[in-house]
Amino acid sequence: MLGILKSMATTARVALTRKPVTIQYPEVHRNIANRDRAFPILIWDEEHDEPFCTGCHACERACPVECMTVVMKDNPKHATGESKRRKIIDEFWIDYGRCMRCNICVEVCNFEAIGMNNTWAGHELSRYDRSELVMDLDMLLSQSKQGKVEPGLRA
Amino acid sequence: MVLEQDRLIETIDMPINMGPQHPSTHGVFRMVLLISGEKVVDVVPHIGYMHRGGEKLMEAMDYRQGIGYADRTEYLAQFSAELCYVSAVERLMEIQVPERAEYIRVILTELNRLTSHFMFMGAFGIDAGLFGTSFTYAFPQREYIQELFEEVSGDRLMYAYFRVGGLAWDVTDNFVERCHEVLKHSQEGIRDIDDLMTTNEIFMARCQGIGAFTAEQAIAYGLSGPMLRASGVPFDLRKDEPYSIYDRFSFEVPVGNYGDVYDRYLVRLEEMRQSVSIVEQALEQMPKDGPVVAEKLPRRLRTPPAEVYAKVEAPRGEWGVYLVSKGGDKPYRLKMRSPSFCNLSGLREMTVGQFLADAVVILGSMDIVLCDVDR
Amino acid sequence: MTMLLAAPAIDIDQPFLNAILALIAITLVMTVAVMYATWYERKIVARMQYRLGPTRTGPFGLLQPIADTFKLLTKEDLRPATADFVAFEVAVFAIFVPAFLAFVAVPFTANWFVSALPLSLIYLLAVSGLSFIGFLMAGWGSDSKYALLGGMRAAAQLISYEIPLILAVIGVVMVTGSADVYTIILWQDKVPLIVWQPLGFLIFLIASVAEVERPPFDIPTGESEVAGGVFIEYSGIRWSMFQLTSYVNMYVFALLGAFIFLGGWEWPFGTDWGWGWQLVLTTAKMALFVVFYLWIRASMPRMRVDQLMSYAWKVLIPFALVQIFLNGLVIVYDLPDIALLVTSGIATAVFCWLAYAVVRRGGRRRELQMVPVRGSGRPAAVLAQATEGSTA
Repeated sequence: MLGILKSMATTARVALTRKPVTIQYPEVHRNIANRDRAFPILIWDEEHDEPFCTGCHACERACPVECMTVVMKDNPKHATGESKRRKIIDEFWIDYGRCMRCNICVEVCNFEAIGMNNTWAGHELSRYDRSELVMDLDMLLSQSKQGKVEPGLRA
Repeated sequence: MVLEQDRLIETIDMPINMGPQHPSTHGVFRMVLLISGEKVVDVVPHIGYMHRGGEKLMEAMDYRQGIGYADRTEYLAQFSAELCYVSAVERLMEIQVPERAEYIRVILTELNRLTSHFMFMGAFGIDAGLFGTSFTYAFPQREYIQELFEEVSGDRLMYAYFRVGGLAWDVTDNFVERCHEVLKHSQEGIRDIDDLMTTNEIFMARCQGIGAFTAEQAIAYGLSGPMLRASGVPFDLRKDEPYSIYDRFSFEVPVGNYGDVYDRYLVRLEEMRQSVSIVEQALEQMPKDGPVVAEKLPRRLRTPPAEVYAKVEAPRGEWGVYLVSKGGDKPYRLKMRSPSFCNLSGLREMTVGQFLADAVVILGSMDIVLCDVDR
Repeated sequence: MTMLLAAPAIDIDQPFLNAILALIAITLVMTVAVMYATWYERKIVARMQYRLGPTRTGPFGLLQPIADTFKLLTKEDLRPATADFVAFEVAVFAIFVPAFLAFVAVPFTANWFVSALPLSLIYLLAVSGLSFIGFLMAGWGSDSKYALLGGMRAAAQLISYEIPLILAVIGVVMVTGSADVYTIILWQDKVPLIVWQPLGFLIFLIASVAEVERPPFDIPTGESEVAGGVFIEYSGIRWSMFQLTSYVNMYVFALLGAFIFLGGWEWPFGTDWGWGWQLVLTTAKMALFVVFYLWIRASMPRMRVDQLMSYAWKVLIPFALVQIFLNGLVIVYDLPDIALLVTSGIATAVFCWLAYAVVRRGGRRRELQMVPVRGSGRPAAVLAQATEGSTA
């Protein structure tokens, strides 16, 4: 009998003294850590007004699930002397539906051109159709171009 | 006195399907129970709904890419799986892991044991019939630990944090304080669950005497982990074949007497307390700074042509990796020894002869992870 | 005597019309009350579980029951092809109607009731015991193995727990000398019956939880392997009728308990304070019972069927008989009232102690053996690094 009373006392205690742990999303977003690994995004170079990414295929080769497609081109800004990068990224697709957010692409990148999105925008990516989850270059650069993201960890 | 009419009545045993979709949280597992009235006469488990060819996929991954797969195979005790995988490679390549990395690995693995056992407590309460209270007591505590893991590794569930030779990167600066906070919450959670379930007479009546296995049966079926210890066999890999730096910590291994469902629950509850103690010892002993990756690590990890079997004490039992390498940076064959699969083999013996309602409780007490069973 | 005291509040001359209006009032009020029972159940049980209940539909989630009703009304009405037509269809009504029939004899205040039956207690218990036929019909007619199991268990449970319920109530009847709820309430104007009959109260409490099939006794509706039991094949508005019936039953037993054990609207103020206060008292006492039902729902696992049965037959019935025996002793030998109090109190204590010894196997709290592992502690190199790091 006492055990049952103890269970009931526990539930009563929780009901009366503890606050509910519910966070009312979407009005309230909880703080996510600096190192949070949402999906990868490309970083924009403010000085030279071009992406850091040169299209070297390192991340594409290292990806375990083969979710990236990279096409590089000759950098027009190199010819005019504005930038030191000989090649620049032409087209870049990441299939967010395949990405397993393992961070390996960030680790192997030689130019620190790719980073994991650590904001809520990286998590709120619901789409109605799977094909809309394939992100192209503009979508990947958009957050960084607007200056909205500071990637957390560069290993 | 048997009436003539009674002898002519034919009774059949009724097959009941507890299908791949369970209201309990165990994953896609199908059980066909043959019941006669209320007693179970036969059990036929059907597995394989979650087979994804994980071991074959790992053959195409090098030793950094495969860590994410080890995570996803044992998705409730990820750090145990990662630890096993990287220690297998480290043993082949004879790499010495630095001290600080070892301590952090142990801390994170034991915290992961806490999350896994909290999950068990939540799900087990539901199996026994509690409306959901145990679940909502266990999960906020699990959330606190997962927030810590997010701060350290970047992800809440699939960490991919351990690497061959150490860790991917160092922990945050306030790691020790955060760990202490998390441990405080966890102890409160363990007390809550203990108050709610352990001495509740209805819970005890549901769990005591159900699905009992003797020590000989447990060893014969190849059980491991809390199920083996609940049957009275004092075997724990951290004690008997210490790996990593477990030989530096003092703790106690809980061993049950009756081998029934209640003992398994008690063993897991006690293991949670011991995990808290191990984490506290490790936090105290941990060097304040130091490298977290082994020095002179080659850029491409090539293992010599050899084979190794590495095992760890995962929350569910003995999680092992049998790695066969033919040189090169990818394994030739990687087999994962899954504790849930071996524990599940005892299901029939445990369930036959019990009541129908006990089948759910017994399955819950095994704490299986379907990804691990099916790989 | 009850007829003289009965002066219905709605003062229309025709007694038939009077009764019809009262019935309509009760049905509407109780239906809304039961809908909102789901609301506050979700809120209260949620609070016990660290979370909020419904918060989005309307302020504080108050429109949630209405939203639920709309959803259930517009759901497709499934019917298994091989279901037995009569059993399947009629089962819903066979469960739903007796629950509402009970409200005919319930006196909400001194003047508010539909009909003053001289044997209202017997009527109430008889009517609420009719519903088990509905469970059997639903179980059989659904043509599903889970439903069949659930139906059998429901029938067994309901019939078994009727007996301690009735025996506990018989104790009350013996003490007050009347089987009319109205008279029993009036009898309690100084002291509620819980004081004289604590054991009967406990037995009534436990047996009523089993009669309304709430956890921990919700085998027919929650188990059959966590799949819904008898109500598996019902969808939409039929299913909601079952759920509402469960809450209506809960209200009926809560009201009954409040009346016969806690003093109803009579104690402590009496009939002098007017119908407003009486209504408040009734509602408050009923709310106590309801909160208790919700509280144990959140706290306890389900019992297994055989444990449930053995608990009813081996524990509750003997103790109910003990209570009746004690009542009989006091009445026949004309002992002072205090003797009843003392003996009942002792019997209650024995009951509480013995309660789970029958059901529980295996003994008391278990101890585990603990095998100690001695660690080697920090090696010297690590110690140097640890202290060096702290001074650096």
